[in-house]
Amino acid sequence: MAEMTYLQAISDGLRTEMRRDDRVFVIGEDVGVYGGAFKVTLGFQEEFGPWRVIDAPLAETAIMGGATGAAIMGMRPVAEMQFADFVSCAWDHLVTVAAKQHWRVGIPVPIVLRLPSGGGFSGGPFHSQNPESSFAHIPGLKCVCPATPEDAKGLLISAIEDPNPVLFFEHKHLYRRIKTEVPEERYTTPIGKARTHREGRDISVITWGAMVYTAEEAAQQLENDGVSVEIIDLRTIMPWDKAAVLESARKTSKVLVLHEDTHTGGFGAEIAATIAEEAFEDLDGPVRRVTAPDTPVPFSPPLEKAYIPQVEDVVKGLRELAEY
Amino acid sequence: MAIAREAEPVGSLSEVREAGLDRVDLFDIYRNMLITRGVEERGHILYRQGKIPGSFYTGRGNEAAAVGVATAMESQDVGTPLHRDMGVHITRGVEPWKIFAQYMGRADGPTHGRDGNVHMADIHLGLIAMVSHLPAMLPVAVGCALAFRIREERRVAVGWFGEGASARGDTHESMTFAGTRKLPVVFICDNNQWAYSTPTHLEYATEHVADRAQAYGFEGVVIDGTDVLAVYREAKRAVEKARSGGGPTLLECLTLRMEGHAVHDDAFYVPKVMFERWAENDPIERYRTWLRENAEMTDEEEDEISTGVKKLLHDALTRAEESPMPETSTLLEGVYATPEELDTPHHM
Amino acid sequence: MATETAIDVVMPQMGVSVSEGTVTRWLKQEGEHVEADEPLLEISTDKIDTEVPSPATGTVTQILVQEGETVDVGTKLAQIGGAGIGGAADGAPAPVAETPPPAPAAQQEAPSQQAPQPVQQPAQEPEPASNGGSGHTFISPVVARIAAEHNVDPSQVSGSGRGGRVTKKDILDFIEQGGQAAAQPQQPQQPQQPQQPQQPQQPQPEAAVPAAPAAPAPAPPQAAPAPPKPPAAAPVTPDEALAGETVEPISAMRRGIAEHMRRSLDTSAHVTSAIEVDMARVVAAREQLKKEYQAAYGVNPTYLAFVARATVQTLANHPYVNGELRGDSIITRNFVNLGIAVELADGKGLIVPVLKNAETMNLLGLAKGIADIAKRARDKQLIPDDVQGGTITITNPGGYGTFHGTPVISQPQAAILGTYAVVKRPWVVQDSLGKDVIAIRPLMNVTLTYDHRLVDGAYASRFLKELRERLEAWEGDGG
Repeated sequence: MAEMTYLQAISDGLRTEMRRDDRVFVIGEDVGVYGGAFKVTLGFQEEFGPWRVIDAPLAETAIMGGATGAAIMGMRPVAEMQFADFVSCAWDHLVTVAAKQHWRVGIPVPIVLRLPSGGGFSGGPFHSQNPESSFAHIPGLKCVCPATPEDAKGLLISAIEDPNPVLFFEHKHLYRRIKTEVPEERYTTPIGKARTHREGRDISVITWGAMVYTAEEAAQQLENDGVSVEIIDLRTIMPWDKAAVLESARKTSKVLVLHEDTHTGGFGAEIAATIAEEAFEDLDGPVRRVTAPDTPVPFSPPLEKAYIPQVEDVVKGLRELAEY
Repeated sequence: MAIAREAEPVGSLSEVREAGLDRVDLFDIYRNMLITRGVEERGHILYRQGKIPGSFYTGRGNEAAAVGVATAMESQDVGTPLHRDMGVHITRGVEPWKIFAQYMGRADGPTHGRDGNVHMADIHLGLIAMVSHLPAMLPVAVGCALAFRIREERRVAVGWFGEGASARGDTHESMTFAGTRKLPVVFICDNNQWAYSTPTHLEYATEHVADRAQAYGFEGVVIDGTDVLAVYREAKRAVEKARSGGGPTLLECLTLRMEGHAVHDDAFYVPKVMFERWAENDPIERYRTWLRENAEMTDEEEDEISTGVKKLLHDALTRAEESPMPETSTLLEGVYATPEELDTPHHM
Repeated sequence: MATETAIDVVMPQMGVSVSEGTVTRWLKQEGEHVEADEPLLEISTDKIDTEVPSPATGTVTQILVQEGETVDVGTKLAQIGGAGIGGAADGAPAPVAETPPPAPAAQQEAPSQQAPQPVQQPAQEPEPASNGGSGHTFISPVVARIAAEHNVDPSQVSGSGRGGRVTKKDILDFIEQGGQAAAQPQQPQQPQQPQQPQQPQQPQPEAAVPAAPAAPAPAPPQAAPAPPKPPAAAPVTPDEALAGETVEPISAMRRGIAEHMRRSLDTSAHVTSAIEVDMARVVAAREQLKKEYQAAYGVNPTYLAFVARATVQTLANHPYVNGELRGDSIITRNFVNLGIAVELADGKGLIVPVLKNAETMNLLGLAKGIADIAKRARDKQLIPDDVQGGTITITNPGGYGTFHGTPVISQPQAAILGTYAVVKRPWVVQDSLGKDVIAIRPLMNVTLTYDHRLVDGAYASRFLKELRERLEAWEGDGG
């Protein structure tokens, strides 16, 4: 085991796979000489050379489409969008070309698209978004949203191994803030399996990404009130671990879904609907959602604080459920 | 003012031999052009018979451009042909019965009824299936070339687009990336002069699409796309240049769209005289005349080829019509690939 | 009035994912002067090493994070200006020896921190209790299922949920305790009386008083990094009101004003001189310009603007009035940063926004500038920069008819000019023959309160005399 930040764990996972498999290469803007906007690939070009750590022009379409072509030719591209927000420029190639290729003609497209996402640092409307639900809605794509360094490494390796296009949402707020013990050896974390972050009896919180830590703080406060909160960290939202969510819902009979993405059509809606469909007779209260409001991500700190779900918001939601 | 080089027509048989084609090759080209035309003519009939659902698109007038380029590719090369490029599929060896099955949404089509028209491709033949967002295939071709470059393979990718698609940013990004990295890719613009109903002067402001190539740092060539041998010669040159590390080339084939955009389009916006001129420049007729004048194609040889094509298409249709409709139970299959599939040789 | 604001230097965020930084070198030490934007320290972060430019001009009064220390982004590293203590945003206990509260200008930030109310999360409207007047209680799906499985009538179960609703726990406890038999005595209790929920009063943590800061033991000036979130102003427990009295807590601004007023009187040797000015020509000019300014610029040329213009011009010949006694030095300037005292609504305080480089403004510029800062002061839209760097202040209580006053100097300035009501008075003037006659003239008293340590009485009087001459000779827009 070694102590690693979330960011170091991502680098470690990527380096591990690049050393192990010649087909894995990195492509993105400023990933080479500069080491990536967040320094995930710092030192990679020295180790793997300029044709496996490729500084692309400022051309997300070419990056994503190019990764698709290379994947079809047998490579395992790991493409980076400098910020998850810029994936809009690559939408066509993800959604139109890569996602549908296997279903249409049976050709696997093994791509990992790394997407530094999330807010909390005044990144404003174009450097803070959490667009995972948009892509979870596209058949053929997988969406991974790790919360811990250990999962970040294990899930990245799984994503590279996966024969499908996988969107790897890495939360920028966690990059250097979260540091834990991570196994040094190679391991995989299964895509589609949730993790019980905290055991509890009375209310389940279903969440992922940076919100796991918000939920954790809220759960500690509720513990003082004698309310026992369970936290399920989904880890991947497409495919998502329905069984784990339903099991927790059946156990506690009260569920709060928490995400940093906006409210309407956020992935929380899918979770709430599934619980209503499949665990209706186990519910002892309405399924609640705590999310960002339906606005773009604001820039100014007080506005952004009002936008991103805070511990107090989760505590309030949990109290209401507890008292229901 | 034109910037791109304008390719000369191919004249004598000796020029052709220089370009690497013998008489058998020349007849193969003719046969592939006839099959291409025949498949699409049959498609028209099937469509009017109500056997083809949805809409239907052909590449009538584009046969020389498609077959010419495909003939210049080696078997290890790959490409992303579009809906006017049936000739590429035919030349690379796609069996016509599978195309008819694809047209009709049958279980044995390359997409098993999941997609229609020319939205198909056989990866084992080095072809990647197009999407309706036509220029979106260019970066895919560039990505294939990138893989070849990373692995230092002597392979080339060919990406097709139309003059309409040239307006999209995808085209620009693809050529920028390919140019900066000198990737082994050849861009083929089938300029059939109409993007649905939009004429060329509303799609680009240069004299030729190929004029842009210089701005991306590589050569642009304008070719008479009804001259299959000229197309072949220039494509061969570009493919081999790419293969030997010389980077990309943009070939613009000036072709004809002898029909509407699709079967539902009567092309009222195309001046009548243009259709008449196109009919006179029919690439198949032009090549047939050339073969008779320069390669001494006899009546017997010509008959043998056309009879063979007719039989091939007849058998193909019979076999396609025997193919069942897809089972609805298969709908959910294959949204995601399984790890085992990566171990099978899909990837060339 | 305080215009020397205490400015915090904080660890900047050098990139969106960066959460901390290390101080590698201080380029200025405590007590040294630093200009705004001048490099103050060097820091090192995960992404970049860089210099941090000073956010303000002033003295480095306090360095809180030493070289080699690593702190979170946003942590206060040092203070520029102020009185050399932690300041309001610090939260660290202040040294006992000298504890002046922050100047009012610094407090200008406080309301803006509180102003934006968090947006209500859409999902969190409290659910109304489902038991309306219909007399029956909502049975949740899980309770219905458990009731059916155990053949229990949920209406016999005592509910502890909202509005007396039977919760899953209630019905499970009920079954565990023997089901129906146990239910009998409880039967009449709840569901029939849904209007009187027996909801246990949960303690409301939101209402809890935040933990008071630790006892103010003297802390070393270079204490550990401050907590990232500035706590609200220390809660003051109001003394008990006697009969007829009302008690309100002192606001941060009022506390700051109180401190500053007292300190100013303790610092400067206040002397006030007054002069009477015949404003006839100004009144006439104002009448002439009023329409034009209103129509073309939407601004009213107030008497204050005229006085401001004349004052700025006069200061050029009397630099000490626009000067400062700084330590052992006398500072004079070739520019005028003109403070304008603005009263906030209902006696809630006073703020002195500053018109920078007023010497470059003509009458229109000053009129517009004064209108702008006054409005922004009342709307709480001033930015910290707006209240810094004044070199002289004008206060204008004349609007209420007062004709004289002795305002307090805004430190560290040397003078404050008071302007009073323009009133018509009988006035002895000379007619065209040079004979004295009594005329009705619009007169205004102007006072100059000055720091006699720097400005002598005669010097001040010459200033006032020239100011009067300028106003009495006014023409057009004053040039």
